[in-house]
Amino acid sequence: MNKIFTFLFLMTFIADFDSKSSQFIANQGQVSFFSYTPVENIEAKNNQVLSLLDISNSEIAISMLMRAFVFKKALMYEHFNESYIESDIHPKANFDGKIIDFDPSLKEPQTRIVKGTLTIHGISKEMDIKATIESKNDAYMISGDFDVVVKDFDIKIPPILASNIAKTINVMFKFEYKPYEE
Amino acid sequence: MNKKRNIVLLVFSAVLIAFCIYINSKLTAENYIDIENTSTELNITSNKLVASFTNNEEQADKMFSGKIVEITGRVKEVTFLNNRNTVILYGQNSTSGIICDFDTNQLEEIKSLSKNQKVTIKGVCKGFLKDVVILNCLLMKTNLNE
Repeated sequence: MNKIFTFLFLMTFIADFDSKSSQFIANQGQVSFFSYTPVENIEAKNNQVLSLLDISNSEIAISMLMRAFVFKKALMYEHFNESYIESDIHPKANFDGKIIDFDPSLKEPQTRIVKGTLTIHGISKEMDIKATIESKNDAYMISGDFDVVVKDFDIKIPPILASNIAKTINVMFKFEYKPYEE
Repeated sequence: MNKKRNIVLLVFSAVLIAFCIYINSKLTAENYIDIENTSTELNITSNKLVASFTNNEEQADKMFSGKIVEITGRVKEVTFLNNRNTVILYGQNSTSGIICDFDTNQLEEIKSLSKNQKVTIKGVCKGFLKDVVILNCLLMKTNLNE
């Protein structure tokens, strides 16, 4: 009898533990970037960015398809994918990092530094990115923005177009996470 | 003589302006892929498409990415996050599916979709993360009875 009770107790404990997974997912995250120059402004948006967040160790992983960025002009899309990013060789951009001093139980918005590695065009770079984390109804939202220096990622822009593309690109992101169920 | 040259110049500049306007309208169109009038390159079921990517992503990428595909599958979810109209289709397992991003013109049709409904969606395949991503989608067929 006692054994059965222990077994039942253990089972409920395991079941409970399982349902409260520490993993969260966003499969429709938003990443957009802007390039401002006197010649022209270029803007692109990707609404299908994938991100996983593990609140037990504050780890965050982000992955996106470069071809899923939508531009205002077809020519911008073509240049971006074929000449600059070379999407056939490097179809994805990734970020892997850790949120420093993240407190998952905090109800009010918290601004934290995310330390990690950003990989674009096959080049990886260590970055510290400031992000705001909001918790609502057992789900999380992470948003923020940062600057990327084009030269850092070995992206070659022909001299004739150099005045059309900014040296630093502003990147904005927004992820709405929900609990991850396998 | 001078008059003739002026006319030639006028015609030439008119043609040039018209050409510029034409090129500009071609390039600035919001949806630069006219999905409705571009023929489908591949027909596939949602299960098979997801399976191709989960089995061998590199090979599937070569086969499908950048192509106009017509996918038949069942609706898992309809979302309107970030002002986008998105239909998510089931894959053969529960972890991976197909994210179909629609332009705004078919809002009413998308709203009326229900879970598990069988649909055929045409769009441009962009690749695979955890789900297959399809952009510029168009709802081709809905089947309420199945």
